[in-house]
Formats: sequence, C-alpha cells, structure tokens
Amino acid sequence: MERRDLLRALGAATALTFLPHETLAAWTRATSGVRPANGLNDAQMALVRAIADTIIPRTDTPSATDVGVHGFVDVIVAERATDAERARFLAGLEAIDARALSTSGVVFADLGTDARGALIETFESESRDDEPARTYWRLKGLVVHGYFTSEPVMKNVLKHTVMPGKFEGDAPLLMPTPRSTPGLEHDHA
Amino acid sequence: MPETFDYDAIVVGSGMSGGWAAKELTQRGLRTLVLEAGGPVDPRIDYVEHVQPWQMHYRGMGDRKTMERDYPIQSRCYACDEIGHKFFVKDAENPYTTPDDAPFNWLRGRQVGGRSIMWGRQVYRWSDLDFEANLKDGHGNDWPIRYRDIAPWYAHVERFIGVSGAREGLAQLPDGVFLPPMQMTAVEADARPKILKAFGGERVMTIGRVAILTQNHNGRLACHYCGPCEKGCITHSYFSSIASTLPAARATGNLTLLPNSVVAEILYDPKRDRARGVRVINALTRHETEFTARLVFLCASTIESVRLLLNSKNAQFPDGLANSSGTLGRYVMDHNFGSGASGTAPGFKDRRTTGQRPNGIYIARFRNVKSQHPDFLRGYGYQGWSSRSGWDRGKWTQGYGTAFKQSLIDELGPWGFSAIGFGESLPRAENRVTLDPEVKDKWGIPAARIEVRWTDNERAMEKDMAKSMAEMLDAAGFTDVRESDGMNPPGHCIHEMGGARMSQTAKDGVLNRWNQAWDVKNLFVTDGSCMASTACQNPSITYMALTARAAAHAVAALKRGEI
Repeated sequence: MERRDLLRALGAATALTFLPHETLAAWTRATSGVRPANGLNDAQMALVRAIADTIIPRTDTPSATDVGVHGFVDVIVAERATDAERARFLAGLEAIDARALSTSGVVFADLGTDARGALIETFESESRDDEPARTYWRLKGLVVHGYFTSEPVMKNVLKHTVMPGKFEGDAPLLMPTPRSTPGLEHDHA
Repeated sequence: MPETFDYDAIVVGSGMSGGWAAKELTQRGLRTLVLEAGGPVDPRIDYVEHVQPWQMHYRGMGDRKTMERDYPIQSRCYACDEIGHKFFVKDAENPYTTPDDAPFNWLRGRQVGGRSIMWGRQVYRWSDLDFEANLKDGHGNDWPIRYRDIAPWYAHVERFIGVSGAREGLAQLPDGVFLPPMQMTAVEADARPKILKAFGGERVMTIGRVAILTQNHNGRLACHYCGPCEKGCITHSYFSSIASTLPAARATGNLTLLPNSVVAEILYDPKRDRARGVRVINALTRHETEFTARLVFLCASTIESVRLLLNSKNAQFPDGLANSSGTLGRYVMDHNFGSGASGTAPGFKDRRTTGQRPNGIYIARFRNVKSQHPDFLRGYGYQGWSSRSGWDRGKWTQGYGTAFKQSLIDELGPWGFSAIGFGESLPRAENRVTLDPEVKDKWGIPAARIEVRWTDNERAMEKDMAKSMAEMLDAAGFTDVRESDGMNPPGHCIHEMGGARMSQTAKDGVLNRWNQAWDVKNLFVTDGSCMASTACQNPSITYMALTARAAAHAVAALKRGEI
C-alpha cells in the first residue's frame, strides 16, 4: 500500500496521540530506571555488566550496557523468574565468579579483556546442563534478547521498520533493513 | 392485541458469526440487537500490534506471574502473551471442567469482535468431499447440504471480507473469489514444483488463503506487513467483525450493540412454540434484564452456544432447549493437529524476505481423495512457513565479542522450513459438552463440562502427517529433516465444532438445512456448533457463509409469515 494512504487513514494526530493504555504504563515503567525490589546486588550487577559487554562490546554501535541490558536482566531475574529460578541463577553467577577466582585469582569483572574471553570460551565448551555453563547460557540469552529488543538498537542498528508496507518473498540479502521479528519464543529466565 | 417485541432480531455474540448475522439481518431491514458478553474494543487504544518489544516491561518474553495466575489455560495459545492476553478470558472467571483423563484446551476471548480479533485468518472452502464424508464412511450423520448450497454464500462472504489466495483448480479445495496472492519465499517457490513432481501432481503446495487484504478493498486498507495480526490491526486490513461486518450493520441504522451483556437463558414461549427472547445479566452490575424479539440468532461460539441451550431447559425441553433429538451437546469435535516435519534448505544464502508476511503456505489434502489409506479415514492439510533465523540465533550459538555481534547484525542464519498437519477428526456421540453439576462462572451460570477424546483414527493420521511431510521435504532437497510428533489435546486447534449439528431429519440433529432449530422455528444457531463434521480446512469461512445463508432464509421466512 502507499504510505500516504496509510498516514491519511490513520491521521497524523491519531497515530501519535493514541497509544494503547497499558503500553504507556509499561513503557514508563521500563524507562524509569528504577531498580526492581529483590534485584541484583552490586557485585552481581558488576558481573552481569562485564559478561554482557564481553559478549556485545562497544564498536561503532553501542555495547550491551550502553543500551541498558543489565537493567533488563535485573528485571527478568527479580520479577519474572520464580523464586527457585532466581536462586539458581544467582548461585550460577556465584559459580562463574568462583571459576574466575580459581583460575585467575580475581572475580570475572576484574579480569582483562583477553582473560574474560578465554573464560567465556571455556564456558561455551562445557556441557550446558552443568554450572556455571548453564547460567552463562541463560545470561547470554537475556543479553542477546535485551540488546536486540532495545530501542536504540532496533531503531538505529537494525533499522527496524514497524510498517514495512510490503512483503517480498525473494529479495537480495543486501541490508540495511530488518532481519527478524524478535525471537520471543525462547525462554531464558 | 398483537404481541409487541423489543427488537425484530436478537443476535447472541458479536464475533465471526454474530457480526455476519448482524450485517445480513440489519441490511434486510430488521431492527437487530447484538448482545456481547465481553466489553467494548476501540481499535485506536486497544489494538497493540505496533507496540515494540522495548515498550514492554518484559520485552515480549511475557508476564509469567500474571499468566500463571489469570491465564493458565489461555496462555497455551501463542496469541495470549505479554500484551495479547487482553483479548483472552480470565480462566478463573470463565471455568469449565473436563474428566481427568480427557484434557481439552478451550481457548477464547470475550469482547466485541470475539475471536475474530485474534483468529488465524486462514480461509478455505469446503468441497463435496467434505459434505459427503459422513455419508460415505458412516461416522456421524449425513449433512443436509452440499457444496452447491453453500458455494454462492462463500462467494458472497469472500467478496465482502477480502481473501487473498492463488487459484489451483483443485476439486477438494475449491477456488474462491481471490484478491492477489501473497508471495512465497524463495525456498517455498523452489519446493513447490519439486513436491508436485515427486508425488505425481497430487501434493499441491499453495500460498495460504487468508482474510487479509493485499489491496485496498471495501473501504479498508491493504496490509502493511507489520506481522502480529493477532494483536489487532489499526488499518483494518484483516477481517474482523469490528473492521467489517459490524460497521456495515451500524451503517443501516438498524443495529443496537450492547457489550457486557451475558446471555444466561433463551426464553421460550410454549404457547407459540417460539423463542420469546433472552435473559441477560449485565457483566459489570449483575443487573438482570429481558429482551424480546421475533427472531433469535445464536452465534456465541460452539461451546458457549451449546452451554446456553442446555442452560435454557424448560418444561417442554427438560434436556436443553431444542433438544427433542437428544443430540444436543454430542458430536463435539476439533481438528487434530500438530504433527509434521521440519528441515533446512541448503543454498539461497543471498536471498531474504522483507516485511512480515502474516501468512504461510498450505498443502491441500491428498489423503483419501482418490484412494483409501489403509490406516485411517478422512484426511488432513498442512500449514507451514519458511524463514531465515535472525539475531535470536545468537542466544544459542557460540561466540562473543565484535565478530559475534557484527554477524548477528549483518548476517542471517540458514533457511528453515516447517509444516504441521490439520486433520479431520471423526464425529462421535461420546465426545460431548454437558453442564457441570457444581461449577458456575463469575455470573452464577452453570459451567460447561467438556469430554472429548481422540481415537485411533486421529492418532494414525498424525503418524502419517509426520511421515508424509518428511517425505516431501526429502524430495524437495531439504537437509536435516526431522519428523515431529506434536499431536495436541482436543481444543488446542481452536476449531471446536459440533454439539448442535445440522441434520436431514428432526430426530437426527438440532438444526435443519437452514441452521434453524427443528424444535423452535425462530431460533437459528450458526456458529461452529452447527457442524456435522470438521473437514480438515479451517472452519471460519464456512460459519460465515452458513450465517449469511441462514439470515437470508430467516428474513424471507419471517416476511412470509412462517416464523
């Protein structure tokens, strides 16, 4: 369809004025920056930030923590996980730091870039059913999800178009437009 | 003094079928009251299809605690998610019971628009292979209609709602009045001829036939391919009663629509042998009212309509209104579905899709069309889709750092394809809806007790669904082909049908060939409860066509003084 038809139909004012009520509430909550009750403590938060930025570092585009992935992880662990899942996740974080301590004598957040990478390679080579690899993969899932569903990344990096206006079944791979509906079906809490 | 009525017609339900009843009755001049148990929906503020993940607290991963508390059953449906749950009922307010060994997923919404807001939008005509199925193998009763009776009404509905699709000339899946088809992906377009060739032309993969506009139509806008139709559509590009039939009814000046109106009983006048009207409970205040009318159209959805008829028992009909046959509540069915196969398409690495296609491919029924399969009766079709994985593959693939990040931004994963079967289950008297003797809903109305079980026929069909799909993917050159045994419990397809079936004689069913109750001449039931078999096609367009046909008949009969 023609974009101008769409805009005419919606009415510029309508499109901007009406926002679904619960969206507004959730959006306000999500962008408030208020940390959830029962969330990660400072040490846990430092570990999550360090792993997140090792997986997705800053380049010419933002890093994971640049777009607030650590805050998203905090919300999921504090509010969405069951008590048992939360306890297991926090114990898993402890196991990650215990591994860093036993191999390098410092916690993960105090490791240099190369040592962080080496440890992640170790985790990724181990069974995903055993700690600390299990919690590492849970966290990695949340980091990737949180990064690619963040507003700056969807808008500026993926250049996600909310209303593409057409579907092409057989287009050349050349970017720059979006590649995926966010994968919402995978559960990582 | 002649009796006076509040309205000419009352329609119970405002969804897929109720919207059509409202349109056809009001356009024929009847002052019509539509009663909807749920609340109003305003697309401008209630539709959430453009809400982005970053605008959601859990980024689309869902509010599990709310789901577990309020939607433990409804959340089994993919559409009942972090922001889509608003279109589903709260389970505790709307209970139903099942035997412990017969789980049934009753997935539904209560709101103006009903399930036409979050339906799957796939529309396929039935053929005489379907209408003659019961007669041929003796399961269930013979349908009182054939394809020729409903074909013009299919066209009537298609012209109004807009259906995109490709003509294939298949006898078992008749072509309709189509808007231009959506495109297949590169992988689907490659697989279609290979599958045709490998199976002697009998297995036809076509683009899904879908009630979504591929061009502007009847004052509604073409699809803009945002993706999640089940969360609403501000441009009214997919068919819903809110977007299409209810506005047409409103335009006549003959429509009164009352939301939050729970119909508790159909009132019966024994002196006239007619339905007199309905007893309504206001969902918010619990205030009770009665409305009277010359004509009552029951379009409350399969199980709700059966439940309402059972709850409307009286001295003349102690086993449920219009139930002199004893068949009310029996022969309840759903499509058995879920088994299929998936595979990876090698190649096509430089190809992609753009936009979100709210549709997939369909493989028309090929089993028991020309010859009889040794293991099961009836047949099935497949629905499937192909796509390349996006950044979400980063959640489970190895890697970290700059290269990992950049690959998720710049590249796509391999092409995957998967399809699952939708099968025709057999009508069985034992599969039934009754009233629970104890459990009541939030408004004190006895709840439905649902007892539906699959049989060996459905189980054998599911095995063949998996095997045949894998065979097709192998033939088309897919790799890593995997069969999946995904058979779901009854109800999960959300194609529940039967319970007030149409029949050729009054002793054999609840409704005649016009969806008119044999026992109560001014009562019509036109939702899924009227179905005498399920075919394997998605049923909504058949409900719509039967509703329009029944409304035309009812008004003509009313004008002739027969009702």
